[in-house]
Amino acid sequence: MGKTEFAIRRTFQLVLTLWAVGTLLFVIFRLMPGDPTSYILSPGMDAEARQAIVEDFGLNAPVHEQYISFLTNAVVLDFGRSFHTSEPVQDVLFRLIPNTLVLMLAAFVMAYGIGIVLGVFVGANRGTRFEKGGIVLALVQRSMPTFWVGILVLWIFGAWLGVIPMSGMRSAGESPESFLHMVASLDFFWHLIAPAACLAFYSMGYPLLLMRNSMLEILGEEFIDVCEAKGLKRRTVLFKHAARNAFLPIVTAAAVSLGFAVGGSVLIETVFGWPGLGREMVRAVIRRDFPVAQGAFVMLAGLVITMNFVADLAYGYLDPRVTYD
Amino acid sequence: MSLLEVDDLRVHYETGEGPVKAVDGVSFSIDPGENVGIVGESGCGKTTLADAILGILEENGSVAGGEIRFDGQDITDMSASERRRLMWNEISMIPQSAMNALDPVYTVRDQIVEAIFAHETMSNNEADERVRDLFELVGLDPERADDYPHQFSGGMRQRAMIAMALALEPSLILADEPTTALDVIMQDQILKRISALQDEINSSMMIITHDVSVVAETCDRVVVMYAGKVAEEGPADTIFDRPYHPYTLGLQGAFPNIRKPDQDLVSIPGHPPELIEPPTGCRFVDRCPLATEDCRTSEPPEVRTDDLRTFCHHTDKIDGGFRSRAGDRDAWKETVAAMEIQR
Amino acid sequence: MGIQDETADSIYTDLDEYAGVDDDRSEWSRFIARWRETFASQWRLLKQDTLVVFGIVTIAFFALVAVLAPYIAPHSPLERQYGDDGVLISQWHEPFWLGGEGGHILGTTAEGYDIFSQLVFGTRPALIVGFAAAVITATFGTMVALVAGYYGGRVDDVLMRLVDIAYGLPLLPTVILMVAYLGPSFFNVIIAVCLLQWRSSARVIRSQVLSLRERPFVQSARVAGASDWRIISRHIAPNVLPLTFLYAAFAIGWGILTEAGVSFLGLGDPSQVSWGTMLQSSHTYNAMSHGVWWWFVPPGICIALVVISGFLIGRGYEEITNPKLRRRN
Repeated sequence: MGKTEFAIRRTFQLVLTLWAVGTLLFVIFRLMPGDPTSYILSPGMDAEARQAIVEDFGLNAPVHEQYISFLTNAVVLDFGRSFHTSEPVQDVLFRLIPNTLVLMLAAFVMAYGIGIVLGVFVGANRGTRFEKGGIVLALVQRSMPTFWVGILVLWIFGAWLGVIPMSGMRSAGESPESFLHMVASLDFFWHLIAPAACLAFYSMGYPLLLMRNSMLEILGEEFIDVCEAKGLKRRTVLFKHAARNAFLPIVTAAAVSLGFAVGGSVLIETVFGWPGLGREMVRAVIRRDFPVAQGAFVMLAGLVITMNFVADLAYGYLDPRVTYD
Repeated sequence: MSLLEVDDLRVHYETGEGPVKAVDGVSFSIDPGENVGIVGESGCGKTTLADAILGILEENGSVAGGEIRFDGQDITDMSASERRRLMWNEISMIPQSAMNALDPVYTVRDQIVEAIFAHETMSNNEADERVRDLFELVGLDPERADDYPHQFSGGMRQRAMIAMALALEPSLILADEPTTALDVIMQDQILKRISALQDEINSSMMIITHDVSVVAETCDRVVVMYAGKVAEEGPADTIFDRPYHPYTLGLQGAFPNIRKPDQDLVSIPGHPPELIEPPTGCRFVDRCPLATEDCRTSEPPEVRTDDLRTFCHHTDKIDGGFRSRAGDRDAWKETVAAMEIQR
Repeated sequence: MGIQDETADSIYTDLDEYAGVDDDRSEWSRFIARWRETFASQWRLLKQDTLVVFGIVTIAFFALVAVLAPYIAPHSPLERQYGDDGVLISQWHEPFWLGGEGGHILGTTAEGYDIFSQLVFGTRPALIVGFAAAVITATFGTMVALVAGYYGGRVDDVLMRLVDIAYGLPLLPTVILMVAYLGPSFFNVIIAVCLLQWRSSARVIRSQVLSLRERPFVQSARVAGASDWRIISRHIAPNVLPLTFLYAAFAIGWGILTEAGVSFLGLGDPSQVSWGTMLQSSHTYNAMSHGVWWWFVPPGICIALVVISGFLIGRGYEEITNPKLRRRN
């Protein structure tokens, strides 16, 4: 199988997965006990508003028509309007996505940058106390609930030392002209650092352990001996050769673990009051604002699915040996 | 002066059950331009010996005693950076299986150039020119230098490894089973190629193998190793024609002999001993048909006969008839019987 | 992680090798005895790792606390406490060793609940979620893997596409959505966690089954005319057992972390006190701004301890099942 054929097949699989997730959502929504309208209609609404929503959702149409329109709407990311603010869900989502992406990207770069380098050293020091310490550290990082770490950070650095803001994405009174202006500001960075670091702290253990396992396998290969015999510096052998080879499985794992990072970001956004997609989803669920909750979920799931897709494709370019059999 | 002198070298691997004495007091030397073969069954410490010289022992292995002198300097004593300067530039290697000896994610050219740049300053063009020359030298198409290792066949990879080993014209090449992964025709070609190239740049070579015929073809001198110790050492011709150690005789019988093609192959019964607590006397005692009580209690003396060094209590019995019988299965019968009694 | 390779022969068991030893017993009692032997050898391997022993001891300790909770906790977890002045507490009190009134071991919450009692009772939901998740995900994942890997073909394709789809679902958001739709109950959280967690065990164990299927002892059993059930139960299942345990051990951690996360978001079972709900209320009352650390530090430590115990046990298993991670001697 060639690269192109693999890409086509993988794309087909991507569409299939997206369709399955959409269908799942539809089924769960319809299969809820009782009349679905009772879930999406708040008792306080007047008859006219109820009717508008029922029509908006197409709840009076036959199920298969509802299904088709649900899917077509999902494709164009039209999830209706928020019950709460009547704002189109699409607008809400597009406003919040950049905030979540910036947070996740910052955390991801930190987690994988530090995690991978630590993993290389832990793997290179097999059987030492350093190795055992590294493994335990990684497991501790993954065992501490993210939101609890966030609480501790807020307590120590926010309330006690007063060096980080307690909540939000920017200080009161700051009103940047655009998203880019805001991201570039020092104030934003000051707000970003704590939630991103907490998220990174949690995500770091995975690349660390994976890299260590992968390093152990690669360091046993004969070409590493040859590299050492060539008189290369230890650093060159470890990073240019061992880590470069050990890195390959991490790419796939990174994308898969993004699924977990998305979960973590829901919690971290809530703890730090970060106005992102995850926090909005939780708030929508609590307010029973189903259109927003669904929309946010589809965006988060779409992000995970797309990242898995990208990882699979990227693997072929990083490893010249891949043949896709 | 010898190029390489290994003097009473001891290499231990730490394990849960105690140190494994993989190399235990081995001494020999290699002169400039000389080819020395290290022969023995697997598990006799041959590869450990090479790894120790190259400084690439497994992390639980270490040099526990003795010296490895290269050009008179003890390399076990050197700092890491001094040693790196020596590696590949002076001592290079052709590893056991070229299959996995090349880094899969870089092109062959990149890997050869990397070795060159680690030791010499030259322009990229000069380095590329050198790679081109090396490829022609080992009989590879220079146009393929930009291929990745997986695009090469087994024989091509072996040639690429040889090209890499020669890149800096080292004075010593350590070849660990350089041809075992190849078919017989390819083996022959590669061996001839190695010998020819080696004459050209006048380097010495240490060939590690369990295949006696490889040694016969390429080596001036042979060191026979058994269970971490030297059993016998001397010029290749003498080792083949008039060896004194029963183990050497046993090894010969186990491989097809070009000079006596009709002879049956007879393998030595039993296995090399565990090296955590090796036998106290001669290490070959449990498999040797000539073994006596002396062999069990005291280490064999070094016996010099003609131009051989032999570590055996019974060199007299060899001349007295065992040599001519060693090719027969019957000669080893007593060993089999003795082993059965022990069981 | 944990993918085996050809060198792993040492762990392969073939239950039929024991056949003919105790022929006077019935077929079934021999079958069970062999399985017991398989379990026992797993246990012997595990005991050698101090970190694994630490994990087992910790979980055993928390299990004991969970069972004995009513005897250990001085109060009911949702029983409002009275201060020394006889008035209902409506502000947190410090632990008695910090000079707090009422003699509360870990003080009280802002609502006047005894924190230590909540902590003790919180072990129950945590362990139930953990073990339910472990048992259900490991069993289900292994069964899917055995079927997909052993029968291959179309069955394998369909099951593995299902795994791919499950991988497309972000864990926590999916659980949140399901709890939102199904209602915030403890049981629903368990269901939601299990629905998502079987995927990784299924995927990894399947590839193990694929390689086992081609091994000589399985091939020879097949040639000898053994039934599918016999081959799976005798020859394949014992060899994927370490991987099943590995994923079960990891699932304990994921289950507890997810339950805590869902509760922290305010979507947990409102009638039950868990470590997650404790952290949620401390966050709601902004306890970290007021430095009421005795409220939010202990539950987090408990979660981390149980979760890391699961991970350590899983880790120990991984070192056993993946010979490449073992020290070469």
